[in-house]
Amino acid sequence: MRVKVLIVEDSKASREYIAAMVEAVEGIEVVVTSSGFEALKLLPRHRFELIITDINMPDINGLELINFVKKNPNYREVPLFIITTEGRDQDRERGLALGAAEYLVKPFLPGSLEALLRRYLKLP
Amino acid sequence: MSPGSKALAEFVAEATEILDALARDLLVLDERRGSEADPDLVNGIFRAAHSLKGLSGLFGQERISRLAHGTEDLLDRLRLGKLLLDGAVLDSLIEALDAFQALLGEAARGTESETLSARVEAMSARMASMGAPVEVAADDPLDRLELEAQVRSVFTEYEEHRLRENVRRGVSLWRVRAAFDLSDFDKGLAELNTRLKPLGEVISTLPSAQPGGAHGIAFDLIFGAQVDREALETGLKGTPAELSALTVRPAAAAATSALLQAVQPAATIHASAGAKSETRPGDAPTHDGAAGAAQDAVSGGVAAPDVPVRVTGAAPEAPRRGATPARGSRGAASRGTSEDAKASPAAGHSTSPKSGGKKKAVRATAAAMLPEAQQPLLSHVPEDMEPGPLEWPTSDADVPANAGGSPSPAPAPAPSSVPVVAYLQGAAKASPKGLSVAPMAPSGAPVGTPAALTADTSLRSLTQTVRVDIGRLDGLINMVGELLLIKANLQRLAESARQDGAVALSKLFGQELARETRGLERKLEALQEGLLEARMVPVGQVFDKLARLVRRITREAGKEIELAISGGEVELDKLIVEELSDPLMHLIRNAIDHGVESPDARLAAGKPRRAVVGLRAEQKGNHVVIEVSDDGSGIDEVRVREVAITRGLITFAQAQEMSRRELLNLIFQPGFSTARSVSELSGRGVGLDVVKNNLGNLSGIIDVWSERGKGTAFHLTLPVTLAIIRALLVGVSGRTYAVPLNSVLEIVSVQPREIRTVERREVLDLRGQTLPFVRLSRMFALPERPVGRHFVVVVGLAQERLGIAVDELHGQQDIVTKPLGGRLQSVRGISGATDLGNRRTVLVLDVAALLEEGMAVERRRA
Amino acid sequence: MSRFSELLDDFFYRPDEDVSGLQDFAAGSDGGLPAAPEEVPEEYLAFHLEGECYAVPIRGVREISKVPPLTEIPRAEPQLLGVMNLRGELLPVYDVKVRLRLAERAPLVAGPDAPAPPRSARILVLRTETGPAGVWVDGVVGVVKLKPSMLEAPPPGMRVGDRDCVVGMGRRGPMLYILLDAEQALAP
Repeated sequence: MRVKVLIVEDSKASREYIAAMVEAVEGIEVVVTSSGFEALKLLPRHRFELIITDINMPDINGLELINFVKKNPNYREVPLFIITTEGRDQDRERGLALGAAEYLVKPFLPGSLEALLRRYLKLP
Repeated sequence: MSPGSKALAEFVAEATEILDALARDLLVLDERRGSEADPDLVNGIFRAAHSLKGLSGLFGQERISRLAHGTEDLLDRLRLGKLLLDGAVLDSLIEALDAFQALLGEAARGTESETLSARVEAMSARMASMGAPVEVAADDPLDRLELEAQVRSVFTEYEEHRLRENVRRGVSLWRVRAAFDLSDFDKGLAELNTRLKPLGEVISTLPSAQPGGAHGIAFDLIFGAQVDREALETGLKGTPAELSALTVRPAAAAATSALLQAVQPAATIHASAGAKSETRPGDAPTHDGAAGAAQDAVSGGVAAPDVPVRVTGAAPEAPRRGATPARGSRGAASRGTSEDAKASPAAGHSTSPKSGGKKKAVRATAAAMLPEAQQPLLSHVPEDMEPGPLEWPTSDADVPANAGGSPSPAPAPAPSSVPVVAYLQGAAKASPKGLSVAPMAPSGAPVGTPAALTADTSLRSLTQTVRVDIGRLDGLINMVGELLLIKANLQRLAESARQDGAVALSKLFGQELARETRGLERKLEALQEGLLEARMVPVGQVFDKLARLVRRITREAGKEIELAISGGEVELDKLIVEELSDPLMHLIRNAIDHGVESPDARLAAGKPRRAVVGLRAEQKGNHVVIEVSDDGSGIDEVRVREVAITRGLITFAQAQEMSRRELLNLIFQPGFSTARSVSELSGRGVGLDVVKNNLGNLSGIIDVWSERGKGTAFHLTLPVTLAIIRALLVGVSGRTYAVPLNSVLEIVSVQPREIRTVERREVLDLRGQTLPFVRLSRMFALPERPVGRHFVVVVGLAQERLGIAVDELHGQQDIVTKPLGGRLQSVRGISGATDLGNRRTVLVLDVAALLEEGMAVERRRA
Repeated sequence: MSRFSELLDDFFYRPDEDVSGLQDFAAGSDGGLPAAPEEVPEEYLAFHLEGECYAVPIRGVREISKVPPLTEIPRAEPQLLGVMNLRGELLPVYDVKVRLRLAERAPLVAGPDAPAPPRSARILVLRTETGPAGVWVDGVVGVVKLKPSMLEAPPPGMRVGDRDCVVGMGRRGPMLYILLDAEQALAP
């Protein structure tokens, strides 16, 4: 049984890149979306074990998504990773304060993400 | 395609898309130079730079990433109000866009030029040093906004900045709550946004963490309204939105009141400056007349609205401290007030401490002098209880004209969301002459209608289009070409079955087969047509880019120019449109630099100061004609003749025989134009031979018209599509070549004795005219075969004619041409290749290049 | 391969790619970079040219094709034998024998007067900096794995003209492979 990971990122190239990295880890099924709205729609339809989200997105921002997830009893246990760019310290700090588990600074190598995924998803 | 090149293609495709969006938005900013920029627009441009940085970083495009980083950083400071958008900044952004385009071009080709790398470094350094550090204001206006820390904590830095700006400007702030069904909340939200956008700024959209029922979800939109409550309610009628006002406590009252007094010492001002320390949620911005006012007066314990209050020098208690926490669960509670207050000095905000107080005073004065203007949440200025439109100053001293009491909300002049080019095209359609003229000056820039604005703000994608790699379409077209070959074989089989049908059954079968084959043929033609249509894009795509260029060159050249664009909706093959931008840019550049006179010279010649450069496209049958014109000084053909003779392009004797038109066309000769000739001539010259070559590669023709004193026009005649062309198949020395039929004028059969030699050069007499003549076998150094007669294919482009002798004619055929890309680009006389079945590749002749070669031979003779 | 994994393939770190930029980036992260390469053999494709055995790194070979009818390009450099149509794609086909001094002139293989190609002849489609290019070879030997320790510098006598088309020699058992620098051999 593979676990589902949701990736929320509006840039297509980043999204596919990250999705490809996550997909490369055995035992993970990836669901991707380009918008926070879509993410809100997907949440009740899937059982996600982990969410990876960008911060700056056009509809709702990633912080709002984190807040939504963390405030919702149905999802609050789901770990969230935020993807940030260097220099946006305030956004990153807020994300962590809202309950994001980890942050990744773009661009990053597959190895770092894979290690984090394995740790949080308790994969062998 | 290898995985590497696929990734590169992916990168180039997405980067192009980002740059297109960037260019569009910058165009709008550029047009509105000098006026305040729409924060959404700046944010959009920032996001584009941000995406580009991420994208190029991922794909290892270091130079693009580096420049994007610098650009993003600059834009980030802009959108966060840490930097002012002045001319220098805007110019830098436009320059960066140009550099990005050049970088992307190099990335696509896999090259890296030193000059461009140096440019990136220089630009990055310059952008980093742009703008002065902003002094930190003593107080953060945001601290005065009563909003739960919890809500504030989910704002991004940018949203926080926009909120701060709205508070600072005294815009009334609302929480718009709406619940939707989970299945289609995005539609509902999009509609809500569409309604809200003309009424103000949606600062943030927060999904409510409270589960909105099993299938519902609620959102809080933080909204800065430019209209009063009534207008807001009207605007939201029919939506599930519920309004509640956000409270802003008054600013440091001591300073305000003191300054108020200083400015208007004896003024009698309604309401109180500092004593009214609280505005309750729900009623604050509304002021539905006396009831609300009375309620306010009672609950807030402030002076009745009609009681004049003299502002004295004794400052009331600092309102921030004295604020009573708001009551009621709907509104914002002021928990954490003291924390906010503590934190405030550190929080940056763009009002400098030196001028801050004075600015407040000015603003307060303006408000005081406009007693009708409603200032719902602007607690640091006196309040008035009469309903009226909300004042929304665009700068501290600038009061909108509508503040005086017109009931209809007039949105602040938002930057146009419609690029000027689209506007021009639209206007062109309505104009009877089909050519419209719009001034390039910012003052003439059209303002987007509310309808256009709303259409733009829908969150859903409005396009029904799918982006397809052109290579993929090429592949499909190739496949259709192959299917066409199979169909031809089937047809032949069917025909022979029908004719040889000795047995009745076989004959019947043959007829059936023939019928089905015809059906197949029709479907294939439809498929082919559909695919060709899929490749068509409006030529306006390239016109848009040119409009931007014109603005820039015009500024640089110190000329006054109106660009008249029409026919942007005319469609051409994507490949052709792409290839057109360079030649058109060249022509337009020449028109502005050399065709158009300076304003003074124009006035002296009795022309209007402002010159008109025209760019129009028109479909004529299977061709599209694009005209680049100017009303400048025209080309001096006498000078053209002199230059051509000096450079040895023609002899004096030849010049004597040439018509004016022929003389003008000499400007397309390689070697005609040099940098020097440009300044010498009243006209043009830079690389027109290059332009002509580019067009030749597209099977296009260029022609020039010019009249001294009146202007110049270049006409570019292009095929609508390149992918499938009708070709004449010819045989030479046992080889087969294809000649694009659109450049074939006629075919004549010639006996060897009819070929005459004039000064060691072969010519033909064609109806009394001497026709230059080449044998393709000799030109291509193929073994010549003795023939009883030649077929001479007469080809022509523009005014030039050439007879090309071949051995055989194999008939006409629709062919799918493939360019000789990659390593074969430099091959002369061949423009591409096609597949005629049986894996045989047939080369397509480059008629323009052959003409050039034939003409060169002729000129050498003279 | 799915589209994602193709993308992934391009992004993933590979020891044979220059990723210095990325490595800087990864410094400090617990990036899963492979340890220093030990004796990792590289795969080469070996082929015959005029009886000699040559080889090129297999990652530079896109595919191997039988010899289709070639169309000569008039007035092209002699090294360019012609163009071929490979599943709708137009590819130039080159001769490298003249440059390697294995032949006096390029063989006549294109046009109406060309004889049928020998049965064993093949076209190697190589990836080059300026796009894919076909190279005529007399026959394909197969894939050989060569470890770095099996590689030697080219003997001085092998230097050809002003270009170094030969980058080295590979010795595996009794076999000797001349390692060809395709980029140089195909340079105009």
